[in-house]
Amino acid sequence: MKLFDALERFQNMDRRWIFLGMGLSILIPLLVTADCEFKVDERVQALYDTVEALPAGTTVFLSADFDPASRPELEPFFRANLDHLFRKDIKIISATLWEFAPPIVVPILHEIAAAHGKEYGVDYAFLGYKPGKELAIKAIGENIPKTFPVDYQGTPVEDLPVMQGFKQAKDFPLIVNVSAGFPGTREYVLQIQGQHNLTIISSCTAVSGPDYIPFYKAGQLAGLAAGMPGSAQYEKLVWADSEPPPGTRKLATQAINVLNMGHAFIIALILMGNIAYFLTKPRGGDDD
Amino acid sequence: MRSTIPLIITFFVGLFMVGEFFIPHWRYRIWTAELLEWGLILAAGAYMLGLANLIQVNLPKVMKKERDWGYKAVMLVSLVVTLFIGFHDGQHRHDDGAAYKWVFEFVFTPLNATMFALLAFYIASAAFRAFRARNVEATVLLVAACVVMLARVPMGEAIPVIGDYLPRFMNWIMDVPNIAARRAIFIGAALGAVATGLRVILGLERSHLGAD
Repeated sequence: MKLFDALERFQNMDRRWIFLGMGLSILIPLLVTADCEFKVDERVQALYDTVEALPAGTTVFLSADFDPASRPELEPFFRANLDHLFRKDIKIISATLWEFAPPIVVPILHEIAAAHGKEYGVDYAFLGYKPGKELAIKAIGENIPKTFPVDYQGTPVEDLPVMQGFKQAKDFPLIVNVSAGFPGTREYVLQIQGQHNLTIISSCTAVSGPDYIPFYKAGQLAGLAAGMPGSAQYEKLVWADSEPPPGTRKLATQAINVLNMGHAFIIALILMGNIAYFLTKPRGGDDD
Repeated sequence: MRSTIPLIITFFVGLFMVGEFFIPHWRYRIWTAELLEWGLILAAGAYMLGLANLIQVNLPKVMKKERDWGYKAVMLVSLVVTLFIGFHDGQHRHDDGAAYKWVFEFVFTPLNATMFALLAFYIASAAFRAFRARNVEATVLLVAACVVMLARVPMGEAIPVIGDYLPRFMNWIMDVPNIAARRAIFIGAALGAVATGLRVILGLERSHLGAD
C-alpha cells in the first residue's frame, strides 16, 4: 500500500522537483567538465567536405540569422565556420535577416578575422540587417548591392573590394546559412535555391533539424549541422589537427556533456513515470 | 472602388511575379527586381506601422490605468528609451561603450536567452507527464523519442552492445518515417499556398483588404 501511494505521489509530484533536477543536470556538467567521444554524422561530414572542396581565394555568402536565444546552439558553429573559411583563405560576405543578429555577429566576425590577419572590406564584409524576410532572400537572389546599398558602417557596398564581381546569390560558389528559424534555411531553399541552383549548407537549431533533413536528402542542402551535437561534430572536424585560435574555445564540445545529462534526466523521468504508471494502473491509475 | 483598385493591383502584380518563373529573360527580371525592392520598402515601412499600433493600443490603457497597465508602461518606456539611444548612437551603436550595445548585451540578451532556456524545464516536466505508453501509438512515439534523445548525445553511443546500433536506428527514424511525414506536410502546405495564392490573385480571398 505504501509503495502504491508513493508511486501515485511520484506521478503527481510537484513540477518544481523536476525543475530542480533539470537545473542540476545542467549545472553539474558545467562545473565538472569531462571529455567524451562522439562520432560525426554523415550530414555534418558532408557540410565539412563542401567547405573543404572550395579553392583558396573564393568568396562565400554567409547569412547569420540568429539571436541571443539561439546563440548557445549556433555561435559555436558560427565561430568554427569562420575559422574554417578564413584559414582556407576564403573571403566572406555576411548579412542577416534577423534584427537582433548584428550586435552578436559583428564582434565575432571582427575577432576571428583579426586572429587570421584578415582586413575588413578586402577579405570580409558585413552588409548588415535587411527586413522583409522572404522578400529579402528573393532580393539577395536577384541583386545584392541593390538590397544592401551600404554595409553596416554605412560604406557603399560597391566600394568594398571584396564585393567586386559579386552581384547576386548565384555568383557565390557556396551560401552558408546559420539559421535559428524563420526566416532561415527553409526560406533560402524555397525562395532561391532551386531557382538559381545554389549550393547551400546550413547550421540550424536542434528543433529545426528534422524539418531540414528532407532538403539535405533531396540535394537542396549540401550539408547540415543541427543543434549543439551538430556544432560539436563540426568543431571536431575543423579542429581535428589544430587548436582553435586564441580566445576561441570548443564551445559546443564543452557543452555536449550538458546535453548528455539533460537527455539522461528526461529519459530517466519518462522511464520512471511509465513504470509508476503500469504498477498503479491495475488499482485505478490514470488510464485515459 | 476602395476594394476594386487593390484587387486589380493584386491581380496584375501577382501574375507578373509568377511570370518570372516561366519567362527567365533578364529584361523581365529587371522589373521583378524593381517590384521586390518596393516590397522591401513596404516591409521596412511596416515597422513604423507596428510602432504606431503598439503606442495606439497600449498608451490609452496606461492612461486609464486599466488591468496590467504597469507592464504596458514598462514596455512603452523601454520602447522610447531604446529608440532614443538607437538613434543617438547611430552608426556607432555596435561600438564598445555605446549605450545601445550596453542595453542589448545586459538587458535584451539575458531576457531573450532566459525565455528560451526556460523551455528545457517545461519540456522536462511535459515529457514526464505526457509520455505514457497508454496505447500502441503513444508507445511508438515514446520509443522513437527516447531513441532519438539517447542517440543524439555521446552517452547513447557509449552504451555497451546497443551503442553502435542506436545512431543507425536514429538515422533510420530521421531519414525514413520523419522524411515521409515531413514531405507529406510540405507538399500539402505547398498545394495550400498555391491555392491561397490563386485565390488572392483572382480576388476570391479578400481578407488582406480587411474584408471577410
